[in-house]
Amino acid sequence: MLLADGPVIHPAPFDEISFDLCSRRKDVVMMSADLSKYCQIIRVKNELPDQHLDVGMAEQNLISVAAGVSKAGFVPVATTFACYATRRAYDQMMICMGTGPLTGIVLGFTPGIANPARIHHQAAEDLGMVRAIPNTTVIDPMDVTEFQQAMNVAVDTPGLVYMRGHRGDTPRLLDPETYRFELGRTYQLVEGSGIGIVATGHATQWALQASAILTEKGVAHSLLHVPTLKPVNEREIADFCFAHNAVVTVENHQIVTGLGSLVTEIVSDIGGGPKITRIGIPNQWAPGGTLAHIRAELGLDAETLASRIEGAVS
Amino acid sequence: MSLMSNSRVTALELMAAKIRRNVLDICMQRGGYAGQGVALADIAACLYFDEMRADDAGWFHDRFVLSNGHDAIMTYGALAEHGSYSMVDLRTYNADGTKVDQSPIEGQLGFEITAGSLGQGPSQAAGIAWGERMKGNDKRIYCLFSDGELQEGNVWEAAMFAAHQKLSNLVYIIDNNDLQATSRTQDVLAVEPVPEKFTAFGCAARRVNGNSITDILDAFAEAKTVKDRPFVMVCDTRIFAGIDCLQAALPAAHYVAKHQADWNAGLAEINRKITELEGQADGS
Repeated sequence: MLLADGPVIHPAPFDEISFDLCSRRKDVVMMSADLSKYCQIIRVKNELPDQHLDVGMAEQNLISVAAGVSKAGFVPVATTFACYATRRAYDQMMICMGTGPLTGIVLGFTPGIANPARIHHQAAEDLGMVRAIPNTTVIDPMDVTEFQQAMNVAVDTPGLVYMRGHRGDTPRLLDPETYRFELGRTYQLVEGSGIGIVATGHATQWALQASAILTEKGVAHSLLHVPTLKPVNEREIADFCFAHNAVVTVENHQIVTGLGSLVTEIVSDIGGGPKITRIGIPNQWAPGGTLAHIRAELGLDAETLASRIEGAVS
Repeated sequence: MSLMSNSRVTALELMAAKIRRNVLDICMQRGGYAGQGVALADIAACLYFDEMRADDAGWFHDRFVLSNGHDAIMTYGALAEHGSYSMVDLRTYNADGTKVDQSPIEGQLGFEITAGSLGQGPSQAAGIAWGERMKGNDKRIYCLFSDGELQEGNVWEAAMFAAHQKLSNLVYIIDNNDLQATSRTQDVLAVEPVPEKFTAFGCAARRVNGNSITDILDAFAEAKTVKDRPFVMVCDTRIFAGIDCLQAALPAAHYVAKHQADWNAGLAEINRKITELEGQADGS
């Protein structure tokens, strides 16, 4: 059983993760563009100052300095909001960090609708942008357990690694005793038949909530969690999709270029697959406010999501 | 200036002339950024054959970061004299399928970064300088970029960062040639006064005659006396400086196609210069 018995909420997951990582790995440098407080990198900044580097409110500088830091033998973890990493410094990510073999991690916090400030702070297209960079690793962890384990893998993965981060109250859903994050693996969190749900990142939390409702209603379904979007495990995704009557993808991202597109590409390349319904942020600006409000507005709250998934078979 | 012997200067002038010859030899095959390569030969001679220290493996102890891919031709001309590239290989520059990229990708010998997207070298060099200092290494980091790149905001983010971090192991070398892709820099978007701008950002900066071996060596020496900030050499150069006939014919050539230049006239002029300098070197 990969899921823990009951979720434990961690109020500042990356503070623990970054401090633990930097305490063990003296070659890791936590970098920030004036957002350490808002990405919750407090202990490293205060207690391990040699492993903390702030470049000022300058994301192009963050990424290009990080590339230099890696060329001096360190493993940089460039942290900022996902919107800034991708929108303001995409060229630096691709050219400075993405064309060489050295490990460099970009952590995009408050991705998708996980930020209350609408449009400018909501990166609804980051996964699509970074998965278009050749040889890049793209990870969207679903909870504290996976975030921590994926960071441990990322620091030993060659090349550019883009990962989405979690901040603030974040559940520990996966049991750290039984769960092992491996790059490129997918994880079936709910076994069943009928509707195959594929989800990643924050949206796997939402899919689990919807799954509980579907189970209560007696709607047959399965749930596959796909934390690694690149290099993606095409075989496992294809096997899962072709084993179900209908497939629904759920993501904290625009329904173009992200997980839904990825699953569609894989199934379409084979041909003759099930109908795929893509659920996520539609082609519109998402509203601002609390996550609960935004989810409700976009039909991503647990009840509506469950109904939309159930309706996808017809 | 007392350390600057005549023989040292003559040897570097001769090296610069050979670099210019190599640049023409390479670019006459299929065209290239010949004007920049020729103009930067004096800086390259001083950098590769005087300033940067050798390591035990036949490479360099210090690190050079080329920010503008176009100027790779300068590095090729110099590394041919260093012996790390053959002219046979370098003559494939700009050919389909060559391993000698006109604008190289990170990892190619002599190139620390992928440099074709402009304005990204200064930050990467600053990151390297920060990391080398953090490791306690005495390596010095040199980064070449162009006056046109000063129009990219990323350069000024780098300058602020490097000054804030007091990266005195970092030297920025600016190819201040008043020429960018389509026109003179002062006509496209003026960047002067360059030294004053870097000084205002917290760096030490001085204007250098980029075609004077003595001035370049003097600036490199001065850079080592600055202990609390990066040093910026604003090197005034002009396209094709050092080969008069080509400079007269192509004073504003951002790129030179094969048919555009009288390569043989240029080679004849630089070969005469090499012979003259070899005579001086023998006599000194």
